[in-house]
Amino acid sequence: MGARDILADWGVREFRVIDKAAIQEITLGASILATGGGGDPEIGLLWTYKVLDEGKEIVMVDPADIPDEIQVASPACLGAALVLTEKPPATEVINLAMRRLERYLGRTIQATIPIECGGVNSPVAYAAAGELGVPVIDVDGMNRAFPELQMTSWVTHGVHASPTVSVDDRGNVTVIDTGEDDLLAENLARRAAMAYGGISWIATYPMTGGEVKGSSILYSQSIAWAVGRAVMRARREHLDPIEELLKSLRKERGVEGYRAFKGKIVDIRREFGSETTKGFTLGKVVMEGIDSYKGSVAELDFQNEWLILRVDGEVRCLPPDLIAILDSETGEPIRTDIMKYGYRGTIVLIPAHERMRTEKGIELFGPRHFGYELDYVAVEELNGLRGGDHES
Amino acid sequence: MAKGMRVGFDVGGTFTDGVLMRGREVLAKAKALTTGDVTGGIITALDELLASSGVDPEEIGMVSLGTTHTTNAIIERRNLNKVGIFRLGAPATTAIPPLTGWPEDLKAAIGGPELVHIIRGGSEYDGRDLAPLDEVAIAEACRKMQGKVDSVAITGVFSPIIPKHEERAAEIVRDILGEEVHITLSHRIATISLLERENSTILNASVITVMQRAVNSLKQAVKERGIEAPLFIVQNDGSVMSADYAVDYPIFTVASGPAASVRGAVYLSGIEDGVVVDIGGTSTDVAYIVKGFPRESSITVTIGGVKTNIRCPDLLSIALGGGTIVKHQGEEVLDLGPESVGYNLVRLGKSFGGPLLTVHDVAVAQGELDRKLDVFKTEFLTRPEAIRALPRGLVAAAWAKIKERLEEAIDKMKTTAEPVPAIFIGGGAMVVPKVGISGVSEVLSPEHFEVGGAVGTTIAEIGPMPRGWWTWSGRTGTRPSPRSPSRRWRTRSGPAPSATRWRSWTWRRSRSPTCPERGRRSGCG
Repeated sequence: MGARDILADWGVREFRVIDKAAIQEITLGASILATGGGGDPEIGLLWTYKVLDEGKEIVMVDPADIPDEIQVASPACLGAALVLTEKPPATEVINLAMRRLERYLGRTIQATIPIECGGVNSPVAYAAAGELGVPVIDVDGMNRAFPELQMTSWVTHGVHASPTVSVDDRGNVTVIDTGEDDLLAENLARRAAMAYGGISWIATYPMTGGEVKGSSILYSQSIAWAVGRAVMRARREHLDPIEELLKSLRKERGVEGYRAFKGKIVDIRREFGSETTKGFTLGKVVMEGIDSYKGSVAELDFQNEWLILRVDGEVRCLPPDLIAILDSETGEPIRTDIMKYGYRGTIVLIPAHERMRTEKGIELFGPRHFGYELDYVAVEELNGLRGGDHES
Repeated sequence: MAKGMRVGFDVGGTFTDGVLMRGREVLAKAKALTTGDVTGGIITALDELLASSGVDPEEIGMVSLGTTHTTNAIIERRNLNKVGIFRLGAPATTAIPPLTGWPEDLKAAIGGPELVHIIRGGSEYDGRDLAPLDEVAIAEACRKMQGKVDSVAITGVFSPIIPKHEERAAEIVRDILGEEVHITLSHRIATISLLERENSTILNASVITVMQRAVNSLKQAVKERGIEAPLFIVQNDGSVMSADYAVDYPIFTVASGPAASVRGAVYLSGIEDGVVVDIGGTSTDVAYIVKGFPRESSITVTIGGVKTNIRCPDLLSIALGGGTIVKHQGEEVLDLGPESVGYNLVRLGKSFGGPLLTVHDVAVAQGELDRKLDVFKTEFLTRPEAIRALPRGLVAAAWAKIKERLEEAIDKMKTTAEPVPAIFIGGGAMVVPKVGISGVSEVLSPEHFEVGGAVGTTIAEIGPMPRGWWTWSGRTGTRPSPRSPSRRWRTRSGPAPSATRWRSWTWRRSRSPTCPERGRRSGCG
């Protein structure tokens, strides 16, 4: 039984077929929305290409069309991203994790849901769907990237990561069932990954179709796709990629992104060794303004992802709102792990999805969670407007 | 002094430059058109050097070159070896088999997927076996390959830290396929990042015969002219290796040309830290030098459509050269290039009565270019009236734009906000602004700058006379390793390559498909 049969079973006639060009656009868009994190898209993309080359089909379905009672889960990679570059996965890992989760649940998984927008985990959900012969649902749990398992809209809306199945390439399986304690689930999953050899493949957040609708970031994939497509078109047609990106957000999400700064990286202060001691890439970046921002200075703090933006000492963006630094000419995101002195970019701020801005959300992934003595203030308010393309 | 002379060649896209040196003295220079087989251009330049200097070939003690033989063979898919491919990494890694993402024509040129085998083996990051090495499967695969492969590439998971499975696999391959099949082991080629290291290893295996033929024909040509001297090839990091060693590791020469230019710039200027700006006819390469050597690229280097992680100089190429077309409307400059008239400058440039305004013409109008260089056979200006007719405003705007492009490129390559010295070399160095460049403390254009690359190939005389290959001692730190002045040349005669010395690799990404540079940035063609 393939993805189309499942859709026929649900009575769904409309769906989108994901080809190589589509997955490339979706992954670019996801990398932009990953706010400087989310990892290197290469392995996830190549995996998805291989799945497509083998003649397997990948289709994406509208969350409004899925039955409430179906069982779905999120396939993802959890562990040290850099081990992944040396040890790509076995073809079977996702299949194994999903099958064992099915066995534990006693139910069949009928669709995948991407956990986040990111270079690795976005395409992985598509590759997994192709391998399993199930559709991908047009949602995710963040519409951005965050470093830990529990930082999702699913948790803030009462859905839990448990049970999570974690597997490795040799076929070892760990079942994590911590009930409602999502922090402990993250902790155990992280340890399993280290014991396996740095990387684990997980099937997590099992939920029903009804829970998907009630707790996910809906149409997250369409948003990423629109963003990626807009930036690629801008490159082809020599348009301003930032402008095209903002337009695509307006059209697809009905939200105003905000052009906050344009400058050049003049200083990077990395906290060395933080990857192994704290599990994050930590540090601070200083950008000097260029063009209409000449004379201004932007400071960004990062913990894997960009967290906080200050311009001339004033806070302009706080988590979970999104900060993206994009190459002004290509729209390519500048990631925290690969940025260098001299990179020139435009800082774009995007309001987090409403489902990420709930009280519980601010508690789980607001500024205080990351160790800042700051109350969350929405990016629109911090910048004194309801969005729009602002040139100071 | 017997054997006091050295000849060096820099094979570029258009010209092959040659120099004949005695000590620090340049005795003769030559420029010949680069030929398809590369060797032809070198021989023409060599004959010109010998003829113009009248030097006795017996006095030549060393022949060296920066060459793009291997790069061209890969890009043109020409004369490539059929490669047997082993990956030691099952049960992991199977989701992305070797050659995934390669251009179809290149895959076909090296024998394709039927020569690919993923075998159980490899290590974990902490030293455990990922799986015990499946020796039986390797032997079986070798028997299937018999008579179908010219060389073999072996890549094991985490082999840069634990190479034992690669080494054992090589013994088995050698036993079954024999000595005539070349074996490339990935841990000798590059560092962590499996897919890119594997790509680099396979590419290396694919050009061994190409390099072997080039080296043999050059050795013979040199010998026929009465020169009894060892042949050296500049490698990607700017050091040189013996030609015999290059035959086993041809992939280390893909950025040989640009690396030689950087070394030449350092040698001619005496500046050891700063920016090297190599200006040609169609493009400008900007490199950053640290202690006399090009800084390495930390990003993916794409060769012939394949992503690799071999060490290459960190180069920023921008479309700016002597032949670059200045697009304008009236007195307003719209853009510079990226198109260039290349060596049709003498037909199409305003200075020669042509229809197009080029960077060369702007320099002439600015009064910057007032003489031709010896090695160029044409004049720099034949139609002064066409240049005089150019609007002053346009010339000034174009000149400012050229300066801005250079400044931006230099700034992108700098790692500090402090001003640094810049060395301008290459045939186009005369046609760009050199005064008041922001971020630069001084601009140097040393004598012989137009053949800087060829000079750069010849300077391995620092240290004892080579017998084997050259390396830096102490390359065990984190990369890119700034070489301290105390680290001097030393020779080794063994066959082990320098790459085996990178034991203390660091967790850092050497790949970036999301490089946000506007200009094409890579170490290689």
